[in-house]
Amino acid sequence: MAGPLTGRYTHLWFVGPALLLMALILLLPILIAVWLSFTDYSLGGDAPAWVGIENYERIFTRSTYEKMFGATFRYVFIVVPVSVALGLGAALLIQSVARFGDLYKTIFFLPVMAALLAMAIVWEFALHPTIGIVNSTLDMGCGTVLEAWDWYAAGCARTFPLWLGDRDYAIWVVAFIGIWQGFGFNMVLYLAGLTSIPRELYHAAEMDGARSAWDRFRLVTWPMLGPTTVFVVTISCIRSFQVFDTVEAFYPQGGGPSKSAYVMMFAIYEKAIQQNLVGIGAAITVCFLGFVMMLTLAQRWLVERRVHYS
Amino acid sequence: MSEIVLDGISKTFGRTPVLERLDLAISAGEFLSLVGPSGCGKSTLLRILAGLEAQTGGHVSIRGRVVDDVRAADRDLAMVFQSYALYPHLTVAENMLTPLRLRDLSRWERLPLVGPALAGTKHRRLRAGVEEVADILKIRPLLGRKPGQLSGGQRQRAALGRAMVRKPVAFLMDEPLSNLDAALRVHMRGELRELHRRLGATFVYVTHDQAEALTMSDRMAVMMDGRILQLGRPQEVYDDPAHLKVAEFVGSPRINTLPGEVDGDGRVTRLGMPLRRRVEGAPAGPVTVALRPEHLRLASAEGEDTLTGTLAHIENLGADLWLHVAVADGAHRLIVRADHDALASVSVGDGLHVRRVKGEALVFGADGARLRFAVGTAARAVA
Repeated sequence: MAGPLTGRYTHLWFVGPALLLMALILLLPILIAVWLSFTDYSLGGDAPAWVGIENYERIFTRSTYEKMFGATFRYVFIVVPVSVALGLGAALLIQSVARFGDLYKTIFFLPVMAALLAMAIVWEFALHPTIGIVNSTLDMGCGTVLEAWDWYAAGCARTFPLWLGDRDYAIWVVAFIGIWQGFGFNMVLYLAGLTSIPRELYHAAEMDGARSAWDRFRLVTWPMLGPTTVFVVTISCIRSFQVFDTVEAFYPQGGGPSKSAYVMMFAIYEKAIQQNLVGIGAAITVCFLGFVMMLTLAQRWLVERRVHYS
Repeated sequence: MSEIVLDGISKTFGRTPVLERLDLAISAGEFLSLVGPSGCGKSTLLRILAGLEAQTGGHVSIRGRVVDDVRAADRDLAMVFQSYALYPHLTVAENMLTPLRLRDLSRWERLPLVGPALAGTKHRRLRAGVEEVADILKIRPLLGRKPGQLSGGQRQRAALGRAMVRKPVAFLMDEPLSNLDAALRVHMRGELRELHRRLGATFVYVTHDQAEALTMSDRMAVMMDGRILQLGRPQEVYDDPAHLKVAEFVGSPRINTLPGEVDGDGRVTRLGMPLRRRVEGAPAGPVTVALRPEHLRLASAEGEDTLTGTLAHIENLGADLWLHVAVADGAHRLIVRADHDALASVSVGDGLHVRRVKGEALVFGADGARLRFAVGTAARAVA
């Protein structure tokens, strides 16, 4: 009776393959990245030398990296709330219409399915300062009441913004495209969440005197969507931290005007791949992992404590 | 005066009629059950009364006021749902407070922190109301818990409590006991009945369980296929059903039915044996003769008024003993209530003789409608 599945270590045979794979393709690369972040390694160069926390010191002191964090957090803090709110709003609207719900769903979900790189080219045309449809549309408004708005009047007098080429606008435009592209995904998640709310709860709310749509939303919809919201916010955060393709498509060399759209993923790519400074790239990666880890822990904490009711 | 009047209520879903011109008047303080098999429209009727669904035709009036265009929130009714529909993110106390908060507090007074500061006495009064109801229902220790931490029976009470904190015109209950286990259900029947007596409020109670309707209601309305077939006190409905379907639905075990014939003079025969009484105003043709199990007896010997059959099954419920007897060569089955002494003397497969108690047979026409016996033919002699 001494077969491989009868001994004290039987359990290892069950968890072993999964553990081994996880160690090989997840933990090991992360550990290597952490180790590399303390060296000056470059691909094909000399043997890596231990430089201590020099890479991290650079990340937290140099102005380039300050811009990197600035652009990343601006992007995350605008894209996450807006795309979550829009996703929820679109889901609620679609659920409330009797007809064409599927059509709206498809339309809002299209940008999620489309290749962002291709879409970026379309946006680049649309936002072109002189021939783009955005500025030519804005031009048509000149001479109307819209000029009462100072910003608009200034645009008519001189020229409307360069959008992608203007360092005051660049990251916001990139964020806008991120929202346009991402909120359909949140909408689908919210639609799934909405269908799982028991209808009897709405009837109970009505009997209890919840007369306005806002009362019903506060009493039933929002609390019942709690688990969905936590998931949607976490997913949106992680996706926003990972923004790369729009920046790469718009600004292939260097993260936008005055590095105003120099997001983390792009910085990693630029440092580690383009400039072959693997050490500093690894350090940024470790910072990135840190943020994502914090988010995930926050989600676990919230899910376990607050939003699961039974 | 009638508290709630339903007048000619119809409802169709698409082309399917669910309720057909249904009238019902419910008096103040009454416990009225709507009972019927699933799909008979009883829940739909309750939801129309509540205002959660719109009727296709007819009018609902509450306390003399037509409320067809009044939304559910403004009809001043309280409802207990089959699934209880408690808000899972709120504690029992908050659940019970919700109807009070939404009705008695303004939007500003409902705000967290600011609200209690603005209207402290109001908040305290509502809270006191909740605690009072919690004491009646004996759920005070549960007030701080969330519905997910409660058992089925406790949730049931919390849902009742949420309905009771206001003083609504009527309590509507949609199969509130059907998610409980059998023992608890029987216990809650008694408690609900007790609660009704104590509150003196109007209860409209929907159930598919005829036993609940029989044991709890002041009056019960038996519904089939979108119509009320009979409305009356439970004993009346049981003893004197107006329709074959009512007779078959109410009472457990089911009433025994045998095919019979009626001739031009109103004389009824079933399986070749005549009844002594005559029915009135019935055309000659086939009828159904129905007999409750307790109106059948075992006979020791074959006689001219007995049916002979073989014992197919013994159902022993402890207090009751039901014998299933196959008669007419197995074409029909009769359920006979027997004394416990019979248990010793009979066994499955035995031949038995069954005699009916005179004067208890019910006759129904081919369309299911009850055929009454003519007064004085032989009824007095039998009774």
